[in-house]
Amino acid sequence: MNEYQLIKDITYQYDADIGLAYSSPCRGIWNIVHIGTQVPGCHQIYVCPTSCLRGVVLTTAEMNAMDRLSTITVGEDNILEGNMEETLQEGVEKVIASLPERPRMIMVFISCIHHFLAANYQRVYKVLREEYPDIDFVDAYMDPIMRRKTPAVPSLTRQTYRVLQPAEHKPHQINYIGNWFPTEKYSDLTLYLRDHGIDIRDLAEETDYDRFKEMQYSSLNLTFHKYAAWAGKDMELRLHQKWVAMHMSYDYDVIDQDMKNVCELLKIEPVPEQITAQKRKAAEDKINELKKLIGNTAVSIDYTAVDEPLSLALYLLKHGFNVESVFIEVFTEAEEVFNELRAFKPELKIYSADNWNMRVMKREHEGKIIGIGQKAAYYNNTDYFVDVIWTAGMYGYLGIQHLAEMIEEAYQTPKDMPALIQHKGWGCCAK
Amino acid sequence: MSDWHTHVFTSTYTADVSGVCSVLYELGGMSVLHDPSGCNSTYTTHDEPRWYDHDSLMFVSGLDEMAAVMGDDSVVINDVAAAAKDLKPRFIALCGASIPHIIAFDYKGVGHLIEQRTGIPVIPIATDGLKSYVSGVGLASREWIRRFADQNAETIEKTINLLGITPIDFADMEHVNALKESVLPEGYAVHACFAMGDTFEQLGDIYAGAVNVVPSSAGRMPARFMLGIRHIPFVEGVPIGPYMSKQIQQAVTASAADGISRKAYGDLPEQGNVLVIGEEIYAKSMAAAVNHTSYAQQNHLQACAVWPDINEGLNEDALIQKVNAAEIVICDPLFKNIIHNKNTCMIAIPHEGYSGRIYSRNIPLFCCRSFDIEERLRERK
Repeated sequence: MNEYQLIKDITYQYDADIGLAYSSPCRGIWNIVHIGTQVPGCHQIYVCPTSCLRGVVLTTAEMNAMDRLSTITVGEDNILEGNMEETLQEGVEKVIASLPERPRMIMVFISCIHHFLAANYQRVYKVLREEYPDIDFVDAYMDPIMRRKTPAVPSLTRQTYRVLQPAEHKPHQINYIGNWFPTEKYSDLTLYLRDHGIDIRDLAEETDYDRFKEMQYSSLNLTFHKYAAWAGKDMELRLHQKWVAMHMSYDYDVIDQDMKNVCELLKIEPVPEQITAQKRKAAEDKINELKKLIGNTAVSIDYTAVDEPLSLALYLLKHGFNVESVFIEVFTEAEEVFNELRAFKPELKIYSADNWNMRVMKREHEGKIIGIGQKAAYYNNTDYFVDVIWTAGMYGYLGIQHLAEMIEEAYQTPKDMPALIQHKGWGCCAK
Repeated sequence: MSDWHTHVFTSTYTADVSGVCSVLYELGGMSVLHDPSGCNSTYTTHDEPRWYDHDSLMFVSGLDEMAAVMGDDSVVINDVAAAAKDLKPRFIALCGASIPHIIAFDYKGVGHLIEQRTGIPVIPIATDGLKSYVSGVGLASREWIRRFADQNAETIEKTINLLGITPIDFADMEHVNALKESVLPEGYAVHACFAMGDTFEQLGDIYAGAVNVVPSSAGRMPARFMLGIRHIPFVEGVPIGPYMSKQIQQAVTASAADGISRKAYGDLPEQGNVLVIGEEIYAKSMAAAVNHTSYAQQNHLQACAVWPDINEGLNEDALIQKVNAAEIVICDPLFKNIIHNKNTCMIAIPHEGYSGRIYSRNIPLFCCRSFDIEERLRERK
C-alpha cells in the first residue's frame, strides 16, 4: 500500500479512519499539559490510570514544571469498589493542602475510565467549589476514547475560558481566543487594531490571573484556529460576546475580507485601500524574492506547521514553487480550496501523516527539499526545514512575509532535525 | 490522610503497556496497543530510546467510544489484519490499556481470530494500563517464551540467560554488555538475553540456558515460568560493583549445581540511614552493595531499599517520611523535589523507567563490576 495518494485520486470526503495509528517522533505539537500551563497560577491535577499519567507527568517534568501538576492514580480498587468519586475528592483536597501556595485555578482532568464507570465527577466539583470558593475549578478531560465527539484540544480550549463569567462589555476590548503564541510582531490585524485603540486580550501574553479573568469584559472574541471554535461558540452563548472565526488563509482577498469584518464590528475605520495595496505588494515582493532564491527546490508542507496546509500549498504553487507533497491529518480548508488545488496540481502527493504504513516509509528525498513543519522534515529526512507549529502567531501579509523569511532561512541553514523535532511542546514555557 | 493514589510532587513509573512494547521491540513482531490514543506516544517519547534510530512496528488501535460500547472487536481485527498483510511481521503482540480491561476485551479470542485471518502467530497479552512496566515486561516475556521457545532444547552447561532486559531498566547496549560481563562466573557464557541484542532465533533456544539471571523484577515472571516448565533455577541481582558481581557469580555457580534459585543481594535491613529508591532488584542490589563498602562500615551507614509496588507504585506520604529520615538517598534525580531535609544528601542515578529520557544521557554504567558506589558515597555533598 502506497504511503501517499495523488490529490487527483481523492475526494474532499477523505476517509480519516486510518486504522492502526503510528506515532512519529515529532513532538512539537502541544498537548493538553502545555495548554494548561498557559494560565498563570493554574495547577493541573490528572486523574487517570498509570499508563495515561506517565505521558503528562513527564511532559511536565521536561518543562521543569513539576510544581504545576499533581496526579491521582486510578487503580483496580477504584474499579472494584466504585469509589472513583471519593478518591477524586479526597485526592484534590490533599493536593490543595500539600501545595506550598494556594492555586488560583485548578484544572481537574478526568479520563476515559470515568466515563465508562459513570463516575459522577460533576458532583465532586460542586462539593469542591463550595469547599474552596477562592479557587476556580475547571472540569477538564483527557479522554481520547471520546475523541470523535469531544477531541481533547478543542475541549480544553473551551474549558480554559469557562471560568469567565457574564459581565458588562467594553466596546474597545476584544479577546483572541485559543492563541498560544503572541501575535504582536507578525500579524497585520494585531498591529492595526492596537493602532486604533483596541485593547486586545490574549492569553498568550497574559502573566497575571486577574488580567486573564478580565477577558470577560471584552465585547468580541476572535478565534484563529479551528480547535478554538468550540470556545468561541461557547463564549458567545454564555457570555454574549460576539464571536468571529478568522481564516488562516493565504488568499489575499480572504485576509482583506476578514480584516474588514472585524473593523466593521468594532466600528473603526477599515484598512485604507492604499495601505492594503502596499501590504500586498510587500508580500508579493517577498515571496517572489524567495522564489528567485530557492528556484525549483522541492517543498513539502505538513499540518502541524500551519492551520491550512492546502491553502499554503496552493499559494506557493501559484507563485511558481515546486510543492511536492502535503502531510495531513484531516482537511481543514474549505472544499473550494481543495478543488482549486486539485485542478492546479493533480499530481500533488497527499500523505496521511499518522497512518501505520508511515512507519515503513522510505524517509528520503532525491535532491534538496524544504520541509515546512516537523513532520514534513522528518518524513523527507531533511535538515532544511521551517520549525514552527500552529502558524506560530503569524497572520495576514506580515505573517506571509515572516513565513517567507523562515523558508529562506530554512533553505540556507540546515538544522539539527532529530534533536529539534523530538523536543516536546515547541516554544512552550510554563507561566 | 495517607493514600497511594495521590501524588502531589512525584512522577510515576512507566506502565505495563510500555513494558510489553519495550521487551518485544527487537524481535521482528508487530505490537498493537488496544487503546484510544496517547499510550503510544508516551511510550515512543519517554520510554523507548530506540524509536528514532531502530525501526520496529508498534501501533495503537485507536479504540473509540462506539467500538468500546458496542463491543465491536471487528474494528481492531480488520485494522490489524490490514496492517499485517502489508507489513508481514513475524508475530503480532496484542496488549491494551484500561478501557479494554473494564469492557472485558477478550485478548485470547481476538488474538485467535486475527491469527486465523492472517496466518501470523498472535500472542495475547492482557495488560490493563493500571500496573507498572514490571508486569508488562514479565507478561510479554512469558507469553513469547510459551509460544515460540523450544521447550525441548538441550541444556548447555555453564550458560546463563538474562531475563527482563529492556532499556527501561538498562538504558542501552553498553549497559547490557557491561551487565553480561559482570554476572558471568569463570568459564560461563551468556546463552540468551531477553530481549536486547538477541534475535528471534537465538531466543527461541532460550531453554538451553542452564541458569536464568534476573537483574530486574521484570524478569521474574518468565523466570518462574521457566522454572516450572524446565526446572531452570534463577538468580536475582544486579552486578553493582565488585561485591554484587561476585555474589551473583557465586549464586549462579551454586544454582547450576543444586538447581535452587537464589537472591544474590541476600537479606537486607528494613530500616537504615541510606535509602535506595528504585526497581526492586536494583534497589536491593544497590543497598547490598552500599552495605558492603568499607566506607559504609566505617561511617555506620546502613542501606535499605524501597521500590514501587506493581499495582500501586510508591506511596508518596510514606516515601517522603523515609526520604527525610535518611542521611543519604540514592535515587533518580526526579525525586529531588521531595527531599525537604537540608541534611539529606541525594546521590542521583537516573532510571529511564521513572524519569524517561530526561536524564538518560547521565545514566552511569551502574550494572558492572567496576561501578564504584563507595566513591560516590565519599564524594557526596
